[in-house]
Amino acid sequence: MSSENFDNLRLELRRGGLVVAVLAALHSEQYGYTLRKIMADHGIEIDEGTLYPLLRRLESQGLLTSRWREEQKRNKRFYKLTAAGKQILEQLLTEWRSMDSSINSILKEYGHATSRTVFASR
Amino acid sequence: MQLLERYLQAVKFWLPKDQKEDIIAELSEDIRSQIDDKEAALGHKLNEFELESILKQRGRPILVANRYLPQEHLIGPVLFPIYRLVVKIVLLCYLVPWIVTWLALLIFNSGYTAKFVGHSWVEAFGYLWASLWSTAFLAAGIVTLIFAILERVQRKSHFLEEWNPRKLPPVNNPNVISRFNSIVELAANFFFCVWWTAHMSSNLILNEVNLRISLAPVWRYFFWGFLLVAFVNIGLAAVNLVRPYWTASRATARLLSDIAGSVLFCWLLKANLLVEIAGASIPPAKALQLTTAINFWMAKMFLVAIILGVVIAVVNIFRIVRVAALQSHIPGERAAMA
Repeated sequence: MSSENFDNLRLELRRGGLVVAVLAALHSEQYGYTLRKIMADHGIEIDEGTLYPLLRRLESQGLLTSRWREEQKRNKRFYKLTAAGKQILEQLLTEWRSMDSSINSILKEYGHATSRTVFASR
Repeated sequence: MQLLERYLQAVKFWLPKDQKEDIIAELSEDIRSQIDDKEAALGHKLNEFELESILKQRGRPILVANRYLPQEHLIGPVLFPIYRLVVKIVLLCYLVPWIVTWLALLIFNSGYTAKFVGHSWVEAFGYLWASLWSTAFLAAGIVTLIFAILERVQRKSHFLEEWNPRKLPPVNNPNVISRFNSIVELAANFFFCVWWTAHMSSNLILNEVNLRISLAPVWRYFFWGFLLVAFVNIGLAAVNLVRPYWTASRATARLLSDIAGSVLFCWLLKANLLVEIAGASIPPAKALQLTTAINFWMAKMFLVAIILGVVIAVVNIFRIVRVAALQSHIPGERAAMA
């Protein structure tokens, strides 16, 4: 498989995961730049061109709330999970774990006896 | 920092009006935070090149702004396959008659070819090319416009989601020969043979009181040649009726029969076949003029006949390749039925 194919499939695989990761990281209030750093520290690189439009979309869906606040003499926009966001996050995590379990079960049954957990969500 | 301001201004230009300020404020803050981090790591203020490197990494302003815009399309993924098919059909329906008309003008209309006298080949070709493409683009443009409107209607009404599986077309198998077609072919060739032997066996194909038409002695070759092709077609149609699917051998027989028919027809056009037209009410000079004119126009049709013959042969060859490919996958007669 070519590297381009892998990149496209990886992008598809990561897309849903990024939403879960962002929601999970916003249990505590963060602004965009620190959120990116938190994600990167945990092995999830996300560029600003993906993160900010995603934050706006999640906010327009009522899953996040944001406010401008001055910190270190600069105005920054802080995001935080709403009650609806918390509820959706729980549902997404349940779905995530169920899928993780299903894929591992398939891998075990069809020739991948030594397979480990596919997703690192546990 | 002027470079940063210029970058933000360029991004801002492409952003939606009601969100411009908000997005730029947040983007500006994000870039400044990155600059702060970089300066802390390097231990000095960033120079122009280092700032340029950060902005370059962020991406071209229009692409950065594009990520904040809603995903828009003129024709969406639901309608696009239909759109592509319709454009192909429209262009084909336009291009084929256009080429045929152009060839006809070139061959039969001396006034048309006179237009290009004194011009170079490049100029003449450029003229033709321009008239072909301007109309082709117009046709494709109209189809695109119609589909763009349909896309908007579809987005609101979702009319494509309403469908009935029972209305799906029957399974199409190009290797199956319609029995109806075989019967029509059989009947047509049979009546042709009867008519041909009854009326066309002699050089004197019309011998009435008022009109007499006679052909050159070479006609006997055409008579027997076309009769033989018709007999082969009858045999082929009869076999196709009993076993209504193409096999490589029968497709090859059809190719040979069509080639023989085409060669005979092309030869006929060039053979100066008409020897005499005579009638009580036709003056001899007029009859001679008519005979020469008919032979002349028949010869003029030669190129068109060759093109038609080639098209027929290509269709036949395509059929042979298709049947052979299928038979190589599934051996035996089942392949044709598959």
